[in-house]
Amino acid sequence: MELKIKIICFIALLVSPIGAVKEFSEFHEELYIRPTSSGHVNTFFQFTTRWHYGDRENLHNTQLIPRPIAETLLLYDVKELHIGLTQGLWRYETFGYPVVDSAPGAEVRAWFAAENLTSADVDDQWTKLASTFSGILCASLNFIDKTNSVEPKYSFRPTFATGSKVNVPQFVRYATLPREIVCTENLTPWKKLLPCNSKQSFASLLNSGYVHNTNYHSLGMKMRTICESHNTNCILEFTETANMVYDPKLLGANGDFSLRRLFGQGLNGHCALAKSSKIYVNLDDQSYDLTPLPMYNTTSKRGGSTSTFGVYDIQRLDGDKLFNIAWIKSKNNKPSILLTPPPPLYAHRYILGHGQERGQIVTQITNKHYHALPIVFQENIPWFVPSYMHTLKLIVQPSNGVEYQIQPRVMHYIPGVQRVRPYHLELLFEIPAMSTVQISFDFDYIFLKWLEYPPDANHGHYLGSAIITTQLPIGRNYTAIPIDKHLFVDSFNATRSSYFLEIRTESLILSLPTPDFSMPYNVICLACTVVALAFGPIHSVATKRIVIEQKDGQPQSLKGKVLQKLFRRKQNNAGNSTKEVEQHEKLLFGQAAADISIRKN
Amino acid sequence: MDKSLLLLVALGGVTRYYLQNFHWIGERVEVSTPINSFKRVQEGVYLYENGIDPYLGDVVHELPVILVLLVRIFNSISNFVPLLYVLIDLMTATLLYKMAQQFVRSKLTEQKFESSEYAVGTEELQVQATDMNVVPRCVILAYLFNPLSLLSCAGLTSTVFSNFLIALTLYFLVKRHLLPCIVCLALETMRNLYPIVLIAPVILVFTQRSKNTFTSSISILALFASACFAITGFNYALINSWSFLDATLGFIFFYRDLQPNIGLFWYFFTEMFEHFRTMFLITFQMNATVLYLVPLSLKLRKEPLLLATVLIALMSIFRSYPSVGDVSFYLALLPLWRRCWKFMAHNFVVFCFFVVTLSMMPALWQLWIYSGSANANFYFGTTLAFSTGQIFLVTDLLFAHVKRDFCLRNGLKVYVDGKEAKIILE
Repeated sequence: MELKIKIICFIALLVSPIGAVKEFSEFHEELYIRPTSSGHVNTFFQFTTRWHYGDRENLHNTQLIPRPIAETLLLYDVKELHIGLTQGLWRYETFGYPVVDSAPGAEVRAWFAAENLTSADVDDQWTKLASTFSGILCASLNFIDKTNSVEPKYSFRPTFATGSKVNVPQFVRYATLPREIVCTENLTPWKKLLPCNSKQSFASLLNSGYVHNTNYHSLGMKMRTICESHNTNCILEFTETANMVYDPKLLGANGDFSLRRLFGQGLNGHCALAKSSKIYVNLDDQSYDLTPLPMYNTTSKRGGSTSTFGVYDIQRLDGDKLFNIAWIKSKNNKPSILLTPPPPLYAHRYILGHGQERGQIVTQITNKHYHALPIVFQENIPWFVPSYMHTLKLIVQPSNGVEYQIQPRVMHYIPGVQRVRPYHLELLFEIPAMSTVQISFDFDYIFLKWLEYPPDANHGHYLGSAIITTQLPIGRNYTAIPIDKHLFVDSFNATRSSYFLEIRTESLILSLPTPDFSMPYNVICLACTVVALAFGPIHSVATKRIVIEQKDGQPQSLKGKVLQKLFRRKQNNAGNSTKEVEQHEKLLFGQAAADISIRKN
Repeated sequence: MDKSLLLLVALGGVTRYYLQNFHWIGERVEVSTPINSFKRVQEGVYLYENGIDPYLGDVVHELPVILVLLVRIFNSISNFVPLLYVLIDLMTATLLYKMAQQFVRSKLTEQKFESSEYAVGTEELQVQATDMNVVPRCVILAYLFNPLSLLSCAGLTSTVFSNFLIALTLYFLVKRHLLPCIVCLALETMRNLYPIVLIAPVILVFTQRSKNTFTSSISILALFASACFAITGFNYALINSWSFLDATLGFIFFYRDLQPNIGLFWYFFTEMFEHFRTMFLITFQMNATVLYLVPLSLKLRKEPLLLATVLIALMSIFRSYPSVGDVSFYLALLPLWRRCWKFMAHNFVVFCFFVVTLSMMPALWQLWIYSGSANANFYFGTTLAFSTGQIFLVTDLLFAHVKRDFCLRNGLKVYVDGKEAKIILE
């Protein structure tokens, strides 16, 4: 037995170099730090693994890619997957656009493609996929099912390539769990998927105590496959991102900050498996002095805007000391107001109305650009918010001028069903230059079964954020990585004809009216009593006979009446009243009357 | 109809049209339920016009044939839609008037044959010639100016259509036109499920004069069933999908929307334990339909219209989504039984129940939903009391009918051993 294993190992050793010619995998770690115009600091980690695995069969032997990811590809027909776990709100007006956008709570979106794939198969694979990653990330993704998933038609574009000549059916699924709270239990398994774990490398900076103290933090995971031809010569790209926004004022030291202050420790080297490990520092905000100075600077011109970046190549550092970078407010700099123009497009969302009967969901999308922009607007409204599309209104409010109503160019609407399917709305329209479009529709507050309310029922129910996608003609504030590239550094000088932008609105909280949770027995008893109130008399009218009873001897006082009621049954049993009366009846009215009374009954 | 009546109808129409300016009426839960609200009709029309299957979601619960009709109306005369609701409601009132006239007329002829059986001194209990004038007037007034029916019409609820269809059914019933009667009843049954029980009075009326009662009842049932199938088939042909069946009948039977209303279902099924839900659902739906059908049909086989009145009342109390429009309809039928009123003992109690609960409902709703200072139990309490009041009214009417029937034949005062005796059920 042992010998056999040894032989197999030996053969494997011989074969592996041959295989390695065909397949390769590389790992990059990047950190991007940028002070924002609001005085916050945005730090963005990206860990990219790119594996040219060739054939599908090679997926059984993973190297840098975590095994569960490769297995997912084997088991399900998933070609592209995005998962975001986010806490806090990204404020576009002051933070600019993030490299990777993510909705508050948990968000999953996947593309499936294979020959002979049907929508029903995809529904099944989708829930399985979500459950798999629920286990991998310790998040409640297992709550994703048909009741909260939608199939967007226009909002998302695939970034994978099947390489197939024939038309392979493609399906997309999207779901959010806005109530999900992101915590240490998600960060730890997320770090474990990295080749160097978190002992060394950039991941050592992600200490949960510091990560969860930020104003905004978002853990992301993205996977996509690019195949040259169908299922052969394929590349698997697996990217993990962590996006955080700090408020340096909270860190103390009058606005100065450093890696040590942000993350609790300096950087202890780089991952030995990494091909590159670099820190990029945005130098546009010149009110800071950097210590140590960047190893070199690069300038990026993209879509009409220019940025300067300082680069630290961690692999070129030597020594065992923890590496630290400090941003210190320049002393000689006069206090200046930084005039950063707001990003060209941003959005907000509200619930209007008072009481718990009727409300209105309003989304305001503002275009600060001097050209009209094409917009795809997507709402994924949970089943417990019945919405009325006949009240849908798109009102344009120009920054100077009178507001007017427009019609969406295309509307894709799938009405929801209680407890079965969410309401899904996609609108395509053009937002005029320098104006705001207000999208509003009415909804009803509904009443759920008492067991459908979450714990702490009066906290409210969450509505996931709306997604707005557009094509920006300019690259101001735009930092996303181009679709054909995979590293953050690839976004430098990546001028394109247009820039695909995805932004998300706030998620909403809706306080549905609640029943009294302590009442079930009382309600069942009371309602059944009322039913019995009808059943009893109707039953007696239908089944009982009319008889006449002597009226005399009835006491007039209340006490006497009560006593008589109490003892009448006894008297009846004694047989001294009714039967006699019946006989009297026959005597008095003759046979006819008695017949009538019997017939009538 | 004379001039004064036309004036009354016009006044009823103007009042309704004026009240339609108050949009909050249609937003009250007592007036609008998921089944009948105008908002959902508008949504259905919107979805249909935009090429989305209205029955894909669970907002629309109207039959396709009515929906398509409404789409046409919305397209051609959208400004007159509120007026259409007023007109239909006025037609309902007129039909009820005609129906009452015919009913009293037939009662009078019936009495001529039976008058020999009546006891002396019971003129008070017999239908008089003056009733020819008074009863229809009472009926039309009770429908035209009942605040509940005003609210229902002002809220643009589809209960207006339901009432119209049931009024048509009753009208054809007393006029003894079998086919139109069956068609109206089948249409209303496909819309609201519960009117299926009205097939019992229909069978009773149309088999009265036939020799072979059994065969003719079976043929009426078969006719009714084929009418239902024909309507279903027609609806299917309109939208090419069966989804409307689940959206109308299924939605009513399975009680999917728990929005509060004046009935018994909403809080009961909100607080229900999930594993008992099916059992209680079947129990409650039986209670609203077949439970009282057989005993009452046997008991009231001589009075099919009273059977219809009681069944309409019971189904508007026990249906899953009742609204005040349903209540107003059976209240308008009560004057038909004017000669039973003498024996109705709880009139004052029922009146107080109605007034107090109906005025408490908006107040407690406001406290619960808007102020947050009351909770669901308060509103549940009033709806429970309202149902209790209605039940008192129905059982009272039944008892009164039984007593009147007895007294008509045995005299108003019954003596045992020379002393006055009283009538009890045993």
